[in-house]
Amino acid sequence: MSGPQPDDSLRAGAAASLQAGPPREQLLEEMIMHLERDQLVVETFRPVSRAELGPYAGAALWALRIFSVVVSLMVIYAFVARLS
Amino acid sequence: VSVSTTETTPSPQLLDQPLLTDEDNARSHDRARVHDARRQRKRWRLLWLLIGPGILAMLGENDGPSMIAYASDGAQYGLGLFVIFIPVLFVMAFVCQEMSMRIGAVTHRGYGELVLQRYGKLWGWFGAGDLCLTNLVTLIAEFVAIRVGLAYFGLGSGVAVLLGLALVLFSLSGGRYWRWERTVLGLAIFNGLFLLAAILVRPHLSTLASSLSFARFDHGSLNTLLLLLAATVGATVTPWMIFFQQSASADKGMTPADIGHGRYDTALGAVLAAVFGLGALIAGAALMSHHGPGIQGFAGAGFPRALEKVAGGAAGTVFALGLVEAGAVAILTISASTAYAAGECVGVSHSFNTSPRTASLFHAANVGIALIAAVVILIPGAPLLSIALNANVLATVLLPVSLVFMVMLANDKGLMGRWANRRSTNAIAVTVLVLVSACGTAYGIDSFLQAIHLLGS
Repeated sequence: MSGPQPDDSLRAGAAASLQAGPPREQLLEEMIMHLERDQLVVETFRPVSRAELGPYAGAALWALRIFSVVVSLMVIYAFVARLS
Repeated sequence: VSVSTTETTPSPQLLDQPLLTDEDNARSHDRARVHDARRQRKRWRLLWLLIGPGILAMLGENDGPSMIAYASDGAQYGLGLFVIFIPVLFVMAFVCQEMSMRIGAVTHRGYGELVLQRYGKLWGWFGAGDLCLTNLVTLIAEFVAIRVGLAYFGLGSGVAVLLGLALVLFSLSGGRYWRWERTVLGLAIFNGLFLLAAILVRPHLSTLASSLSFARFDHGSLNTLLLLLAATVGATVTPWMIFFQQSASADKGMTPADIGHGRYDTALGAVLAAVFGLGALIAGAALMSHHGPGIQGFAGAGFPRALEKVAGGAAGTVFALGLVEAGAVAILTISASTAYAAGECVGVSHSFNTSPRTASLFHAANVGIALIAAVVILIPGAPLLSIALNANVLATVLLPVSLVFMVMLANDKGLMGRWANRRSTNAIAVTVLVLVSACGTAYGIDSFLQAIHLLGS
């Protein structure tokens, strides 16, 4: 059975300093100092407010949406037709 | 969303909240290093700490289909238009990705969740649906690229599948964004193999000069030219890049104070991607000058094999390894963009700074989409090159809607404050939108009319 190693005293000291380390509030404070408030996970889960889309903007978005779906279907159809 | 350009001081209310998570802890650790480097004015260290999302988005898009598209451009038409077209496309990609980074740094939120919350669930889910479709097709093409590269060494699809999935699982282990980012960055730098391939083909100046001729566009079908143009546009700006860079910038913990470095990161990625893309183009052009086979003849392990015949074994080997790298990096970044989008749209944890237990959907989506794509490429007789090129075309066709919402977000003063777009940025963004729409639409309509025999090929 081996006796106490030189590192053991260092480990014991480290453990003691951890127990007597900064209080939880100080650790939290240090942690938050490095983050912006709205970077915290709890903040990012709060939804942003809804933007109002005008009737023209809404219609333009729908037109673009339908157009892109139609062209996508054309590409997919042509791809499948070439395979067959 | 509050917009702040200064370091935040802790608020007493926050200290009372028990809701600080391991994700906050990990991000705080990364931010502490950034603050230290900034305080000590260590400029290079600060740059090192803040690069990542921009380079990964750009080099991730120099993926298997893109490199095959660039090499096909070179093999079919020479350098011609493309030697100018590719750098211009990456300037356009820089403008789009800079917006994406800026929105992520200012709002600390991903693209998917912002569209969903700001413009409604319908538009948010449309965007996520487009992303999942294009990502799945693109991921299939990435596995195809790995398969093509490995086939040169006599290895089969099974090895390609195992390699791709093992990389996804390895990169996820550790539960830290920083680790994931540095792992993928380490892999992405091997995209430079395409530049090495271009050097190894030893292009003669006279050959390069002759391949610059625009007259070559008179030959070949219009449809093939449109396919390559649309695929080349789709090789530089895609929906997944927008989702990825915004979410990764937020996940990395970037703030408005880091936007300058975010621009360096994005610009460096664009320059590297353009140079490496030109490398693939020049390597492909060597095949044209040696009267190589037509575009469809390059399927399977054809590209590296064809290069081996005209430029020696080293060029073929480097090109094959490059395809494996390009596919592998893209699998990691595209899977990540899918996972971010899934978490953001469902409203659950979506960060690499989490464990699979605390963010099960994020990790499951990351592995799941790669797994589905891997299964598809095991189907024998799949038209490899066609899938690879059409993956980019589909991304080009579906990109305009994502771009419009990104421009809307970047102009939203309520979200962006003084970081909202300038008029000059909007002008370039609209130009990109028109070019992308025109290329995708022209190919889509031309192909469709040919398919229903209303137009001759």
